[in-house]
Formats: sequence, C-alpha cells, structure tokens
Amino acid sequence: MSDLIQTEPCPCEIAQTVQRLRRHVLQQELSPGSILNVLEQWSAALDDRQLRHVSGIPFLRLWLRRGTLEPILLRELGPGALNGDWHENGHARLRPFPLGVVGHWPAANIEIQPILSLTCGLLGGNGCLVRVPGGLVEVTRLVMQKLWEVDRGGALIQRIAVVSFDHSRTDLHEAMARTVDGAMIWGGEEAVLRIRALPFAHWSRIAVFGPRLSVAAMDAGAWSNRKDRTAWCRRIARDVWQFDQQACSSPQTLFLERGSGCEPEEFVTDLRSAFQAENHSHPRTEIEPFRASAICQSRAAWLLASAENRAWFPHSPDWTILLGTGGDIPTPTQGRTLTVLLVDDLLEAVSRFDGAVQTLGLGVNDPRKDDALAQMAGRHGVDRVVRLGQMHVFGSPWDGVDLVRPMVRMVRHVRSQERETPLG
Amino acid sequence: MSDLANIEQSIEGLLALPPYAMPPGQRHDALLPLLKQELAYACECKPSFRNYVDHWPADFRTAQSIADLPYLPAAMFKGDPPLALIASSQVTRTLTSSATGSQVPSRVVLDSITARRLTKGIVTIIRNFIGPARRPYLVVDTKENLAAQNELGARAAAIQALFPFATEAVCCLGQDRWGDSTLNLETLLHWVEEWKSAEVLVYGFTHVLWTRLVQPLQSQNIRLHLPNVHVLHSGGWKRLEQTVTKKEFSQEIAAVFGCPPERVIDYYGMVENVGVVYPDCEYGNKHVPAFAEVVVRDPLTLAPTMPGQQGLVQTCSVLPTSFPGFLVLTDDMAEIIGTDGCGCGRRGTYFRFARRVPKAEVRGCGNLETTRVSAASGSDL
Repeated sequence: MSDLIQTEPCPCEIAQTVQRLRRHVLQQELSPGSILNVLEQWSAALDDRQLRHVSGIPFLRLWLRRGTLEPILLRELGPGALNGDWHENGHARLRPFPLGVVGHWPAANIEIQPILSLTCGLLGGNGCLVRVPGGLVEVTRLVMQKLWEVDRGGALIQRIAVVSFDHSRTDLHEAMARTVDGAMIWGGEEAVLRIRALPFAHWSRIAVFGPRLSVAAMDAGAWSNRKDRTAWCRRIARDVWQFDQQACSSPQTLFLERGSGCEPEEFVTDLRSAFQAENHSHPRTEIEPFRASAICQSRAAWLLASAENRAWFPHSPDWTILLGTGGDIPTPTQGRTLTVLLVDDLLEAVSRFDGAVQTLGLGVNDPRKDDALAQMAGRHGVDRVVRLGQMHVFGSPWDGVDLVRPMVRMVRHVRSQERETPLG
Repeated sequence: MSDLANIEQSIEGLLALPPYAMPPGQRHDALLPLLKQELAYACECKPSFRNYVDHWPADFRTAQSIADLPYLPAAMFKGDPPLALIASSQVTRTLTSSATGSQVPSRVVLDSITARRLTKGIVTIIRNFIGPARRPYLVVDTKENLAAQNELGARAAAIQALFPFATEAVCCLGQDRWGDSTLNLETLLHWVEEWKSAEVLVYGFTHVLWTRLVQPLQSQNIRLHLPNVHVLHSGGWKRLEQTVTKKEFSQEIAAVFGCPPERVIDYYGMVENVGVVYPDCEYGNKHVPAFAEVVVRDPLTLAPTMPGQQGLVQTCSVLPTSFPGFLVLTDDMAEIIGTDGCGCGRRGTYFRFARRVPKAEVRGCGNLETTRVSAASGSDL
C-alpha cells in the first residue's frame, strides 16, 4: 500500500511503468460491465468518515455509480458498449478499443480531479498513468486506498499507476508524454500550454479541458419571485462554494435581467443569507494570503470605481457580493466573490460571450427564454448550459468534448464475405 | 477651526513627541480619534472613498479599536489617476513605488504640507537610531537620482529623505556607456580618505548596495575602514533572496565598511506609507512610532493576529492628508513580536518582516490568464 503513489520517479521508471500497463491492457481485455462493477463498489467504499472533509466526495460517489456511467457509455460509444460487443453499422460493424495507456495531467485546484480523469481513461479500457499535483497527493492516496480495498481481483488497480513529481521536472513530464498513447490535460493556461507542448508520439490523442470561467444568469421572473428565490439563492451559493470558486465551472458573475419591478437589493438580501448559511455549513479552514489580499482588493476596487456600485461582505474574506450594472464579465477574483450585474437583456449579455465561458448556469422561469439563451450561448462558445445548482455536475460532454470517446479507437470491421441474414 | 486644521494640529502634536516613548494604551487613545477624523475628512473629499467606507461591515465612527477601521489594499494606489484627496493643482510631487518588470507602480500625490510632514516623520524616526547630527552622506546610487523631480521614484525619495542628516552628499555610482550603474571607485576611496575618522552616513537600496558596492569591493579585496559609519538600506530583499541571508548581508557590509554590524540598519518602508519607516533595532525588531501603528491580519479571518503568528501587514499612519493612506493593507507578511517592552527600550508595537505575499501557488482550470480576444489582438503584432 505504501507505493500507491510513486513520488519523484526517474524517467526510466516511468517508461517501465507505462510498458507494464500497456502489456496488461494487451493481455487482458476488460469488459465495461466488470469495470462498472468495481467502480460501483468503489463508490460505496467512499462513504467513509475519513473522507468527509474532501470537497467533491459526494459528487465522486454519484459519478462512480453504474446509473451515472452506463448512459454516458451508451451515448459516447454506442449500442453494445456495455457488453463490449461489436455493433452493426450499415455494412460494417463497430467496436471501441482502448488507445493503450493514457497519461493524465489533472489540475491542482480540484481535489477529486485526478480520480475523475482516471475513471474516464479506465472506462475506455485503457491503462492509466496519473501525475498528481503535489498538493493533492494525500487526498488522492485516501481515495485510491478505497479502490485498492474493493478491487480484490486487481481488475482495475493493475491498470493504474499514480506518480507525483514537481511541476518543474520537465524530464519526467517528457518521459510520460513520450510513452503514452493518449493524454487528458486539465488546468490553467500556463500548465495546459506547457503540457501540450511536450513531445507526444505522433499517434497520441490529446484531450484538453480548461482553462475556462463560468457565469450564472437569471431572468426577472426567477429572481423576483419571492417564493422560489430562496431556493435559487441556495443553489447559487452551493455553486459558488464548491471548490472555493476556483473551478472552471464556478460562477464568477451573475447576470440579473431587469424588468420585474422588484428591487435587486431585495434579491441580494436573500443571496446574502444563502451565502451566510453556506459559509456556516462549509467554513474555510485555510486560505492563501494571496487570495485574501485579492478579495480585499476586489471589494475596494469595485466600490472605488463608482459611487453607484454596491457591495456586501463580512470583515473576513469568507464571501463577497458585488452589485452593479453592465454586460461585461469582470476579471474573476474567485474565493467566493460573486459579481451581480443588472442587465436589460440577458440575450444581449450572452451574445458578448466568447470561448472563455465554459458553463452558463441558468435560473429562468420562461422556458422559451431558456431555449433562446442556450442557443445564443452555444453560438458564442459556451459548452454547457445547466440549471443553477448543477454547475459542477461533471458529465459528458465536458467542455464540449466527450469524456470517454476521445481515449478509445472506434474500430470498423467490414467483413470480407457477406453473412446471411437469419430469417425471422 | 476647519476639520482639516484640527487634524493638522493633532498630527503636529504627535510629531512633536519622542517617537518611541508613549505607552501603547495612550498612543491608541491618541491615534483612534484622529484616524476617525481623517477618514471622515477623506469621505468628504472623495465620494468614491465614502462609498467604500459606507459599505464597510461596521460604522467606523463607533469603532473601539484601530484594527476595526476600514483599510484600503495597497493595490488601490496603482490606479491612474492616483487616489487623491486634493485637486491636481495642489499636487507638488508624486511619489512612485519601485515596481519592477511588468508590475504597475503605486503612486501617491503630495501637497506641500503633507510633504513637509512626511519628511519630519522620517527625520524623527531616523534621528532616534543614528542621532541628530548632520554628517557627510555617501549615496550608493547615481547622481541622476539626486535631482529634484515632480515625479519621484522610491529610490530617489529614500535618498532625499536623509538629506536633513547631511552636511554634503556624494554619489559613488556612475553610469557606464550602456546605462548600467557601476561603482566609481576613485570617488568612493577619495570620500573615505577624507572622512575616515568622522561620523558619516551611507545609504543605498539593499540590492544596489550589495551588487554595486559590496560585491565589487569584495572582488578586489578592498576594505573601507569607516568605524563611525551608519549604513542604512531599504527596498526589500526580493532580488537577494537566493543570494544572501539578512544576517550574512549585515556581516559582510560591516566587514567591508570596517564597522560593527549593529551600525548596518535595514529599514522597511513603502510609498503608500510614506513618512513612516521601520528600522531594525539592535534586537532585530522593527518599531512603530507614535504617529503610526501596525496591525498584522490573519489571512483566514482578516482579524488581528496574536503575537508570533504571521499575517498580512496593515500600516496605519496619521501623516498623509493629500491621499487616503491612513490605513493600508499591504502585500507583505510579518509577525507582531510584542506590543510593548522590547529590550532596546523603545515602547509600542514591534514586529518582524517575513516576506512578500507569495503569488498564487495553485493555478487551476478556472485561471484564465488571457481571453480569446486579447490573445487574438496579441497575434496582430
């Protein structure tokens, strides 16, 4: 158990590890059903007091359930995917096969991301080599330990290797890149650019997720409705709180459409209560000094910028609500700092988006407007349009890209001789 | 009497006192009402500042402690135009911080009365450490930095702030043909020869002193034999962090100048808190004068820390009335060592500087540094 995560391996050890994983993938085919069985058991094992402090564990448990993953496999890999069968496609038949070994470079800001990325590779039948950022080693170890406990036959654990090394170890990043057949890269701009530039083999398939930012929006009917407003505010708070608002799917700005006759301050009063309640349930236990300083700066900059701007915040950096007008997304502060902007027309605000926006979280009463906003968002680079409260629900496609499909090869078989169709 | 006149009178009263003699409680009682008056005055002068103060979670007028008053992050002084409480016609000088590379410098504006007061503040503090006498002053910088300018950088401001202690000033750095500053050895040795037994003053920015004077002299094995020198330096350790520790720095400087290490004095100061500097005492602590205060805030709660706990430094100064630099949250980390009773005999808060706030260590999938629009416009070049 001590070598669950190998720290600072040498380049040749990485090459040997990948060879071992590849050999295993070639020698032993694993049916999707058996993968799903182990993941289901892993999900159950994660219901552990030791893991309750880990942000995202409830979500990870849900993600690993058969009921979540089966529809994803069916949609991405087609009928027959659950049995590992070929499926007919005109004169041909199709079947997904693993790429081989997939290298995973998860971001450092989401505690469960190494596991999410890993499962995407496993579901395609691949061997997986995961490079875990230093700050996530302990959390990943705890979560992986549960897999080791349930996967007694070793069906999955023999396909997994987890390594950790400093981000500056270019030689080790290169050793991974040279030997893997596919890569799933997650993270900030600098990291993504650096990893994408590594010397991958020409056949390697690379899927990149991030960096992005996300936005919430509500029409007048939703935010002015006193009966439903409390629930909407709770959902927004939940989306803001998860991952300390540092995820690509975290809302940074909330657009409120004018036109209800209701004062925005009335809405903000409910939002403030929701923030206070969420903060009470999920208080911060640590913060980078840089982040605390940035939060103070965002409060001051907002209020000094215009005497019309308003804000609500406690003495601590726990949360911040900035209220103003305008359709441009301000530079995100993160750290539970939500900018609420009043606009005349949500469609006009969404029409200003570009590919930087990943998710649009909506609280909209008018279904036609919901559809129109999704249409507009899709045209302007947004990859996910979801209900408020579900902005972080990890699902396929993510960032407009399938999660399992990019790491499999869809093999097409056209038989050399026609078979007789059985009469029925 | 106008509000401003009242404020000015109170500031003058504090400046006239010995800087490190007031008991902490008495000092707090003197500073708190004055800072409240200054906040109210700033609110009258600047509606946007009022907007900030009005949104503070508690009303400053009822605050019981300096730590409860609304403070501004230092980054707010990076704006253009600078954050001012006076009309542009009243600005006599603009001070800029020593931001390097792509950093935006902080800028603060001074009118003549604030400028005079800030000089007085620094003189009061430095006098307490090196004595009141005027003496020959060696500037470890180029003479271009001695020239009076309307917009003055941090280096020039620090050099000029010590003029009240100088009978004459000589710069020992020149510029080579590429514009880099280099040691003018002849000037230096001549000055040393002339004043070798006298009480003298040397000042340089910390990294300039090290790279342009100490290292060249060490490489030529030259010692200066100035036992009565006071070597003052400021500007921070960022550029020397990987090169030398603070202790080694003082020892090496003392060895080069031929003086005891306690005559090498590092002081902490910043443009946003101009008029107040924090020299190290012989116990290695930085002391806060009667007209100022330092609060160290826990990043997690922003509440004041207990002594010994590191946090973000907030400076408090009653001196400026031309810009709202009364209460400034800096990007520096420090720890309060005590609120009174340092072995050196100076009273009031004393602290130790730790480091600059490190940049974000985790850059995740939500960290977008360039948008598609800005990336596209960049490629047009």
